Amino acid sequence: MSSLSRIFKDYPERRYVMFGGAGGLGKTTFSAATAYHLAKQGLRVLVFSVDPQASLSDIFERDIFGRGAVEIMPNLYAQEIDADRHIKAYQDAIRKKILDMYGMQQVPEEIESYIQAAAAEPAMEESAIFDQVVDIVMASEYDYYVYDLVPLGHALYYLSMASVYDEWIDKITQLRKEMDEFSQVASLIKRNKQTEEDMILKELMDIKYRINTSSGILTDKEKTAFFFVIIPEEMALLDTQKAAGLFAAYNVPLCGYVVNRVIPPELGRQNIPDYLRNRLKMQEGHLTQIDKLFGDQVLARIPEFERDITGLPMIERMAQAMFG
Amino acid sequence: MPNEEKNPFKRAVTAGIEFVYGMAGHDMSRFAMKTRGSMEHLFILITMGDLLGVPILPPYYSLRILPYVVPQISTWKRRMLRERDLTDALA
Repeated sequence: MSSLSRIFKDYPERRYVMFGGAGGLGKTTFSAATAYHLAKQGLRVLVFSVDPQASLSDIFERDIFGRGAVEIMPNLYAQEIDADRHIKAYQDAIRKKILDMYGMQQVPEEIESYIQAAAAEPAMEESAIFDQVVDIVMASEYDYYVYDLVPLGHALYYLSMASVYDEWIDKITQLRKEMDEFSQVASLIKRNKQTEEDMILKELMDIKYRINTSSGILTDKEKTAFFFVIIPEEMALLDTQKAAGLFAAYNVPLCGYVVNRVIPPELGRQNIPDYLRNRLKMQEGHLTQIDKLFGDQVLARIPEFERDITGLPMIERMAQAMFG
Repeated sequence: MPNEEKNPFKRAVTAGIEFVYGMAGHDMSRFAMKTRGSMEHLFILITMGDLLGVPILPPYYSLRILPYVVPQISTWKRRMLRERDLTDALA
């Protein structure tokens, strides 16, 4: 049994699986293969992308963008979030709420322009995806959730966004509570028995709950398995070391490292060109360095395949390489 | 008036309570409501500052609050953007 499959066997309660790493190292491939492996064991799995430039459609060779959870094979579902569509639906819901609440025929011009301007903010797309992820995981319809994460810098941005949001919400919730106290004082003096329920405070509490749920999963040691994907190359190693430090600062529970794209060393025994021999020699040095740096946290070494990993037969081969 | 109390004693008590409220409580409740109103405008500034050109984070969640502050937006903008003078201190 590989170290990677032992982690899944020993910690079945770690239902949220994430592969983090720089762009192009194989996060989507590992996410898809892990989801495939778990689904084959009879577990209901959703692999979903939080990357606005998602590539699950490419790896599964199916157009799943913005179509909700699409069944790829029995027990395996994949989803790519269409942030634009989510934002449009969200804007429409806000407009409808305003019209319903005040019996208006149309949304006042300045309010409408604010709704439109807010949607153009750079953080809007990330926030929309973040919010939809909360809906997905809170619905709790699957045994496992495999996050196809965004590249490192972006993932850190998500984490920091959650903590900034959390502080922001805390501050304005506090202000709202103080306002409520003044309302109660006024009601008491006027001898009104009932004070109106503060709907804004209720919304704020709900927003806070959603943010905490989402960021709480990312940092929950009991429920989350976070793996770093690395390749045996100098730059990737340096990047990963830096990122590991930053992720640790956000208390992301690290399960281990998976080394991808290892050129099979047995090739060295064959008659190969100097170019490849040189690459193999360089790789050997980097693999030694990886073992020295991360020790038994290195859970698997995955070979470079002779072709791209797309389509279920190749995903199956990848799952075999990862989980044995 | 349909709800007028017929019992003269109770009427006197109610009138007494209202007199005391007018003398002491009215100002206090007015002050509490006024403070709350100021805080409401501060709250809208923090959440909807973009309406005045003050960039505020994060717009996604501000939108969720927007429907509840629609009626106050125009008074808030008037208050935030009006010129101030010495008489404000007396208000």
